[in-house]
Amino acid sequence: MKSDVSISGRDAPPILKLESLTKRYTKRRLGGRGEELLALNGVAFLILPGTTMAVVGPSGSGKSTLALCVACLEQPTSGSIWFDGRDVMKLPENERREIRPQIQLVFQDPANSLNPRWNVLRILIEPFVLQGKIAKEEMRQRAFSLLERVGLSSRISERLPSELSGGQRQRLAIARALALEPKILILDEALSALDCSVQAQIANLLMDLQGSLGMTYLFITHDLAMAAQMADEITVIDRGRIVEGGPAEEVLREPKHESTRQLLAAVPRLTRANAHD
Amino acid sequence: MMRYFLRRSAHAFLLIAGVSMLTFLFTTLAPGNYFDEMRLNPQIAPETVAALRAQYQLDRPLPVRYLYWLNSVVHGEMGFSFAYNSAVAPILLARARNTLLLTIVATLLAWGIALPLGVWSAERRGRLPDRVLSLGTAALLVIPELGLVLGLLMFAVRSGWFPAGGMASVEFESLTFIHKVRDLALHMTLPVVALVLSALPLLIRHVRAAVADVLDAPFLLAAQGHGVPKRTLLYRYALPAAANPLISLFGFSIGGLLSGSLLIEVVMSWPGLGPLLLEAILSRDLYVVVGGVLFSTLFLAGGNFLADMLLYWADPRIRRESSLR
Amino acid sequence: MKNWHAFTRWLIALGVLHGIVLCAGFFAPYGPSEQDRKSPYLPPMRVHFVDGQGHFHLRPFVYSFRLRDGSFDQYEEDAAKPDPLRFFVSGWRYRLFGLLPSGLHLFGAETTRVYLLGSDGYGRDQFSRLLFGGQVSLLAGFLGTGFALVAGLSIGAVAGYYGGWRDDVLMRVAELFLALPWLYLLFALRAFLPLAVGPLQAFFLIIAVIGAVGWARPARLVRAVVLSAKERDFVRAARGFGATDIYLLRRHVLPETSSVLLTQAAILIPQYVMAEMTLSFLGLGVPEPVPSWGNLLSNLQQYSVLVSYWWMYLPALAIVPFFLGYLGLASSLQERGEAYKIERRGLGRLT
Repeated sequence: MKSDVSISGRDAPPILKLESLTKRYTKRRLGGRGEELLALNGVAFLILPGTTMAVVGPSGSGKSTLALCVACLEQPTSGSIWFDGRDVMKLPENERREIRPQIQLVFQDPANSLNPRWNVLRILIEPFVLQGKIAKEEMRQRAFSLLERVGLSSRISERLPSELSGGQRQRLAIARALALEPKILILDEALSALDCSVQAQIANLLMDLQGSLGMTYLFITHDLAMAAQMADEITVIDRGRIVEGGPAEEVLREPKHESTRQLLAAVPRLTRANAHD
Repeated sequence: MMRYFLRRSAHAFLLIAGVSMLTFLFTTLAPGNYFDEMRLNPQIAPETVAALRAQYQLDRPLPVRYLYWLNSVVHGEMGFSFAYNSAVAPILLARARNTLLLTIVATLLAWGIALPLGVWSAERRGRLPDRVLSLGTAALLVIPELGLVLGLLMFAVRSGWFPAGGMASVEFESLTFIHKVRDLALHMTLPVVALVLSALPLLIRHVRAAVADVLDAPFLLAAQGHGVPKRTLLYRYALPAAANPLISLFGFSIGGLLSGSLLIEVVMSWPGLGPLLLEAILSRDLYVVVGGVLFSTLFLAGGNFLADMLLYWADPRIRRESSLR
Repeated sequence: MKNWHAFTRWLIALGVLHGIVLCAGFFAPYGPSEQDRKSPYLPPMRVHFVDGQGHFHLRPFVYSFRLRDGSFDQYEEDAAKPDPLRFFVSGWRYRLFGLLPSGLHLFGAETTRVYLLGSDGYGRDQFSRLLFGGQVSLLAGFLGTGFALVAGLSIGAVAGYYGGWRDDVLMRVAELFLALPWLYLLFALRAFLPLAVGPLQAFFLIIAVIGAVGWARPARLVRAVVLSAKERDFVRAARGFGATDIYLLRRHVLPETSSVLLTQAAILIPQYVMAEMTLSFLGLGVPEPVPSWGNLLSNLQQYSVLVSYWWMYLPALAIVPFFLGYLGLASSLQERGEAYKIERRGLGRLT
């Protein structure tokens, strides 16, 4: 079955292009029998710079694996990932290490993505420490300006993540992801663990940041309503395959695949009429 | 059922084979010393030494020696004891029987005390009886095993109520059957008491914790809400759920009791594997040491195997899981 | 938090106990090898405050011993010769902490030798030997534990972090080591090493053997922690910033193992002190004349000693306060942290 590739109508070259991306997991057992899991099967799409692409799918559809592969934190079994015109898969490790900071990942659960023993300041300057290019004092300055940018007060810099609220933690995670000025920000269910009202706040923050920094977002979610609000393009994934894709309004107005229709039906508030807005 | 049994057997077998290789590997640590000691030993004629060296290929590399030893195992000999001037296996078997006697009796007694006490304590967890028992087990736990054994021995010697070691009195053979049993029981009492006392505190605590965990589980609370009477709750609901950790504990306890029995046997002159091993170590009787370690591992593996089988019988989840393969 | 205080209290108690042993030279009136062949197997001296005439003295005193009439090994107190105890006396010279030379002792009598816990066959003061023996046994326990934990940490970290065949092989080997009753393994290992060695070599041999046997359980526990830690998102995030494996292990993964290692230490130290005692008692450990709690007990294997000289048993109880301290420490640690289930069941609550 040929996977659909979604293309937008603008002129700039895509900042990210995936081709036939496949990821196979084998659970090896000493008896020789191994269990295989095909997490991604021939995934292909492209994202234009400055836009937001939402990848929507039910749980277990391979969304998180996709996020990890695009962020170069997991090695795909086959296929290619073109970033800024270069095939990441074919690069040697040291060059890939250069690329990773440019594609940053914000995880779903900040309780898991922030080291509970480190305080806010230490968490924020870690990216700078690892890159090792700027002085200690400069790192602190940048950390404080990052806090400001995501709407956090500098007074929390000594606190531990456990002393922050869910919304504050996710803001911190976003601030940290922005530290190395990435070109692409992947949001892997980044809003799903938050309360409804907090979700709206963080969503607005993200939109503002995109406007001011000109970033590209890969927004992964199971919530079609969320995708509708945030995305320019929507791609639907089911069991490791892309089943549908296109501009957001089109997909929502005329869902072609069964999975898309199921996702649409799962959203109580969103009716066909609302999708037009 | 058969598949599970075979799998566990294969596992145990591989384990024992691995242990035999490991023990044999240790012999490479001091290859030179033995042969010198052996030559110095006046009980062994030089011809015997030469013949043994030829037979066991003692000059050959390790894998070859191992294979010769394996061959000897298959023939029921398990190597040669230089101190006893005979094959290793018969010596080991006689001693192993005595160790088993001690360990099995101690295991039954220890569990016979620990299980009811642990359950009783768990039922009253947090309250005074539980705390008192906790203190008691702590008091017993902090006494080192060496202290326990030596203390009991001193008690035996000073009070004269129990024989100060050994397994049988001098006139054992001439006694009537009933008196033989009594004699054995008298000799066994202190070693068994020592073993049980050393194992009891930890065992009681483990049992109590396992049962307490189950008693706090929501499903039990729900059953209580349904009006199930207390006795039934405990024995038909709680205990089966606690069976899993308890049976694993049983496997662990065997290892602990075996380790403990070594010292107790030596101090109380109980003719088991412990004193044999020590003697063999001091006289550099290589194959006896290997055999002794192997036997103790065999017992441990056997105990764990038994525990695995019990677990299979007790826990339906394991039955289901293995039938799915 | 309540348990933080409990932990500190136990730590202080243990610290005091270890401190006393550490300063054995000060607390002990005599050196461990000082013999007095004229006073073999003297029973413990009683400290008196009231003399034969019923007078109370503020300064405690002891009576020297004399042989009972008609006996050659029964002693009685010679009431005619009270010997007051003096404090902070100077006596034989030693080195405090092995460095500072000193001659100061906590107590001593004027004319007779004070045998608080009796003397052994060579007339050596058991109390002094107890303190010095403690140094040996406790140090063996500490170093053995350190060795086992370092080995366990390294192996567990490699197995858990890199996974794959390394994990399989290492864990199978660990299972082998755990399949043997550990005391048997300890003995077997000790067996194949040279038997008649000097005290220092014997000491290090024991430590090496303990470490070689004891790494398996800590390795398994560390591996479990590492396995779960490496899946945490903050580790992934750090990799996204360009972190190397070494950095991840050092900064993120291994710090997670600290609570497991602490709890294991509190459990293993007493266990390994016991191991040294057992080995030395049976003649496989530290040899004479260096005292250790184990070899102080070895002459109890003689029937005559067992029957007549009960005070020779006392070193067996020397370890009890230490065991108590470590038990309390481990208990309070487990109440604080998330220990693994079986270990938690192992010690439960002390109070």
